[in-house]
Amino acid sequence: MDFYIKSVHRISLLCGTVATILLCLAILVIMDMVIERYVFNLSTSWQTEFVIYSLAGGTFIGCPYVLLKKGHVNVELLPHYLGYNGKLVLALMSSFLSLLFCSTIFYLSVHWWYDAYANNHTTGTIWNAYLWKLHFSLPLGMFIMILQYIADILSLITKREMPFPEAVLEENIS
Amino acid sequence: MEPLQIGILLVTATLLVFSIGIPVAFGLGVIALVFLFIFEGIGMSRVVADTFFAGLEEFTIVSIPMFIVMGIAVASSPAGKDLYSALDRWLNRVPGGLVVSNLGACALFAALSGSSPATCAAIGKMGIPEMRARGYPKEISAGTIAAGGTLGILIPPSITMIVYGISTETSIGQLFMAGIFPGLMLTGLFMVWAIFKTWMTNKDKNLSTVEFKNFTWKERFEILPRIAPFLLVVAGVLYVLYGGIATPSEASGVGAFFCLVLVAVIYKIYNPVKIWKIIKESMKESTMILMIIAASYLFSFTLSNLYITQSVAELMTSLEVNRWVLMFMINIFLLVAGFFLPPVAIIVMTAPILLPIIEAAGFDPVWFAVILTINMEIGLITPPVGLNLYVIKGISPDITLPEILRGSFPFMLCMVLGIVILCIFPEIATWLPQYLFSK
Repeated sequence: MDFYIKSVHRISLLCGTVATILLCLAILVIMDMVIERYVFNLSTSWQTEFVIYSLAGGTFIGCPYVLLKKGHVNVELLPHYLGYNGKLVLALMSSFLSLLFCSTIFYLSVHWWYDAYANNHTTGTIWNAYLWKLHFSLPLGMFIMILQYIADILSLITKREMPFPEAVLEENIS
Repeated sequence: MEPLQIGILLVTATLLVFSIGIPVAFGLGVIALVFLFIFEGIGMSRVVADTFFAGLEEFTIVSIPMFIVMGIAVASSPAGKDLYSALDRWLNRVPGGLVVSNLGACALFAALSGSSPATCAAIGKMGIPEMRARGYPKEISAGTIAAGGTLGILIPPSITMIVYGISTETSIGQLFMAGIFPGLMLTGLFMVWAIFKTWMTNKDKNLSTVEFKNFTWKERFEILPRIAPFLLVVAGVLYVLYGGIATPSEASGVGAFFCLVLVAVIYKIYNPVKIWKIIKESMKESTMILMIIAASYLFSFTLSNLYITQSVAELMTSLEVNRWVLMFMINIFLLVAGFFLPPVAIIVMTAPILLPIIEAAGFDPVWFAVILTINMEIGLITPPVGLNLYVIKGISPDITLPEILRGSFPFMLCMVLGIVILCIFPEIATWLPQYLFSK
């Protein structure tokens, strides 16, 4: 079980890295777009869509990393007043419901993605990129979310992890 | 089942699901899927993935991660500290000096970051210990920062306003401009209270417990070159936005790039690992917000498909109550929602329902954005889910929650007063966008 949990954590950390790279790329491409458009008066073609899809992709791929780091905001009102057992029950319920959501979206997005792949759907713009490449982030992200939620549930049941841990303030960079 | 009955069932189910502590994004998603499949049939499953993804397929959304990068670059670098000391050096002569300069620092920082908890954390880390060291009571120190931090979502650039703009298709440039004067007004109201409270505290004890520090003009000027470039970037972004020269996404992207460059150059943070850390932290926050937006897209799709949005709007407009009574009811609703839910979630869930009602009652959607934002600000400093309260608690664990609340309560009343003033004089919010965009 340790092996599974550690491997999933490693995959989620990798997701964080990929999502950060996508965000970096988005910033650089916006700069490129602005320079081309406003400095050289050129019309831009692929940049707008590239930025949109890299950030959307970054969001779905970064999602498991944020889950690992407990960064998804939630309402911890009821858990706050409960003891360990109560918290555990709520954390398990919340994890199972989230798992249900991620699995459904994963299942449906695989069909949606395959449809774009089989029919060679494109963006239909000047860039005309294949949609299956741009949409791949959704099934991929949701698949890793499923793995991460299973790891979370296992960690909760085996007391490797406390339910609803306290948030930690980020340290400054100097 | 009637759409309104389904609506009541859906709201109850959503609250129940949220109460177990599920991440907001997945809670919204689960409810949207369950209701869609139960009431519209499994056939709807064909459009689910596309709708979920479509929530993020918009160029305006790009500005959210970009403004987050801007904010985190400033918040996690020594820029926040410099901003704080600059204000302290310039405002120390004002009665209640340090409290006033803390509020000023919060307002300025709000303009740089667009996020309330970030403002609270960045200014509070220096502000609270400094205020306490100079004799200000715990309540005032904590309350000031908790309240000052809320200005983050009102003073532009504001993530909350962008989300409102996207969900209601309102011009983000106009929304930003509308936030400026109400933001300054609230800062002013906060300062007046802070000065009065400090004066009362000193008078009660019949001696001055609060120390005033003196700074030379040299000290005042030497700090400016370090903070001016950041303020210039924000001013530039806003100028470009309101001038319609570039889109919010382009302006914020360039702003994010320059803020990263400035942090590297001014504070000599050349280590790529540290810059990477800033971007990674931004990715984390933006992923959290964008997931909520994607899920809320699905949620709104369900509401609209089940005819709930339209039925609520029809019901509210058919009530024929006085428009101000309606506005009062909406305010109470937002206030209560704000007690429990984070601002982004409330806006994406309610804005599409509220907007037709607001417009039918003859209110300006840009003005309403300001009212809604102030309501969200109140929610940030009221329990049980006041995010800022917990940030303060994290910074100074020895100040108890009731002490923070005692300190922030009067500021909350200032916000309510702010809403009343804005209802009487809506021009405070609407004049600037109308003036600038009618040219």
